[in-house]
Amino acid sequence: MTGRADAPVETTRIPVSADEQREIETFLFLEARLADESRYDEWEALVTDDMHYWVPAGPAEGDPTATLSYINDNRARLATRIRQLQTGSRHAQTPASVMRRLLANIEVLAVGDDGATYVTTANFVLYELAAQSTQELRVWPGRVRHTLRRVDGQLRMAAKVVELVTATRPQPNLAFIL
Amino acid sequence: MAGTESRDRPPAAVDYRSLVSDDRVHGSLYHDPAVFDDEMEAIFTRGWAFVGHESEVPNPGDWVSRRLGREPVLLTRHRSGAVHVVANRCSHRGTALCWAAKGTANRFQCNYHAWTFDLDGTLVAVPYPAGFDRSKDELGLDRPGQVESYRGFVFANLDGSAGPLATHLGEGGTGLIDRLCDLSPTGRIDVSRGWIGHKVSSNWKMWPESDNDGYHLNWVHASMVDATPDTYYNETVLGGETGNQSRAVDWGDGHVELDFRPSYQRALAWLGTTADRVPGYCQALEQARGPERAHRLLWDGPPHALVFPNLFLGEMNLAIIEPVSPTEMVHWHTAVQLEGVDDAFNARLRRQSEAAMGPAAFIVPDDAVTAERIQGALAGARPGWAASGRGWLDVSRGARREQAGPRGERAALVSDETTNRGFWRQYRRVMASRLAPPTGGPTYGGAA
Repeated sequence: MTGRADAPVETTRIPVSADEQREIETFLFLEARLADESRYDEWEALVTDDMHYWVPAGPAEGDPTATLSYINDNRARLATRIRQLQTGSRHAQTPASVMRRLLANIEVLAVGDDGATYVTTANFVLYELAAQSTQELRVWPGRVRHTLRRVDGQLRMAAKVVELVTATRPQPNLAFIL
Repeated sequence: MAGTESRDRPPAAVDYRSLVSDDRVHGSLYHDPAVFDDEMEAIFTRGWAFVGHESEVPNPGDWVSRRLGREPVLLTRHRSGAVHVVANRCSHRGTALCWAAKGTANRFQCNYHAWTFDLDGTLVAVPYPAGFDRSKDELGLDRPGQVESYRGFVFANLDGSAGPLATHLGEGGTGLIDRLCDLSPTGRIDVSRGWIGHKVSSNWKMWPESDNDGYHLNWVHASMVDATPDTYYNETVLGGETGNQSRAVDWGDGHVELDFRPSYQRALAWLGTTADRVPGYCQALEQARGPERAHRLLWDGPPHALVFPNLFLGEMNLAIIEPVSPTEMVHWHTAVQLEGVDDAFNARLRRQSEAAMGPAAFIVPDDAVTAERIQGALAGARPGWAASGRGWLDVSRGARREQAGPRGERAALVSDETTNRGFWRQYRRVMASRLAPPTGGPTYGGAA
């Protein structure tokens, strides 16, 4: 018994070069902006062929397949999700929510042995106007963990895990890209 | 009369018979706070409602937290193996005993004055007991007047005056539950893989309606059809009046179904697979039921139905419709898991559940946004408008082509509003009859 709830990787910030840090942040901010603006093609171009997109209904721990999640997309299901958003008849996002999110507390938690994979964490607050239904402002606070991998020299997203602060409570429609 | 103030409003405060007719419903019923108050009493206090499933509390000490109307309750498993439903509220000064969604405990202890209760609600210990004149037997947790289960589905009637569960479910309701459970080789299902809550800014009654509406799919779910064009919904509901053989069925007592069975063209279409891809399951079911019955079950699949008032048997999902306020509700769902089948099969059901239901799924968010648009558009409909013909919603579709079935059910084309009418007929009956003050009999409360 260590008495610690967190694995070491969660508590240790891995030093990366200023250039790497800047490159990672630039990627995360771009990813956030494309999601905010429902630019699905450009957003999808950021993901790898083995992308995993996970929004659990509690802490992001354990085997994602053992229980039910809000979102637990492999690459194929993520493609379906985006295809549905692009049909023009996804009423839950017609019109698309007006969104802006803030990313902060960006840390690199792990670097792969190959030097081409990074696990990052950031806190976020997303403001959403539910423009397609109640017209209310919905606020989505949480933490996002990315696994980024360098593919042909460019960073790409291999995993995005979103831990909502409210994950254990019922959620309103979540038909956009979180 | 001084000193005899009733807790009940006069029964005529809202005239339900004038606001629900056989083929139309008044929009004020979806947002009027007085109507919501009446529903919490007539439907969720004086009637049977679904609480949870025994598989959610498999071991002694397990509990899950639920709401029955406005009443917070705990579904518990006692050391004896029995399942209980008790109020989640200390009988001393009213503190909630549990505030998580679920847990395991030997006893419930209130954090205010440390009153301690057994899992069946019995008060077992209080600090400094000499100060109390009442016996502990009188101070147990409030318990529903009736708790019964059918094939693991636990129902409760808070005030105890609703008659036997078998009468509430009827042949229609038990038949629906049987058709789901019989798909399991052991006859038992498991729903312990977690509930997903979907919060919708709509009245709760839109969900018994939309979950069982066979008319809306081509439009509300057009994007799902476009994005995943090869689902079994093509053959069961999307084909229009001549493109499928499915039926909208009113089994009576508010239990209604979209019966897809006549549409399926092969076994396991409802699972989106074929027998050769899930041989372990097919063999287990044949061993348990015999080849002929197993073949029938594999062909027919699970029901798509409402068990009045709050349980949706959504094929291989269960959903609970939880009213929160006149304009808010939660649609809870979980995946049905079949006992006695390998986890790869059940994992498939979990993934399908995530695809179908919940706030980020491919289907139900479009129902949710539709419900919210209805709610917004109905916000001004006043009960007084009914007489002048304003604010009515039409549920007349297909009324004249309904046919009586062999078990007394009414059925019409799947796109007909037979299911909606079945829900509202029961609603009108209970709202118009159960709001008179109780005439004796057991009432909701602690151990007598």
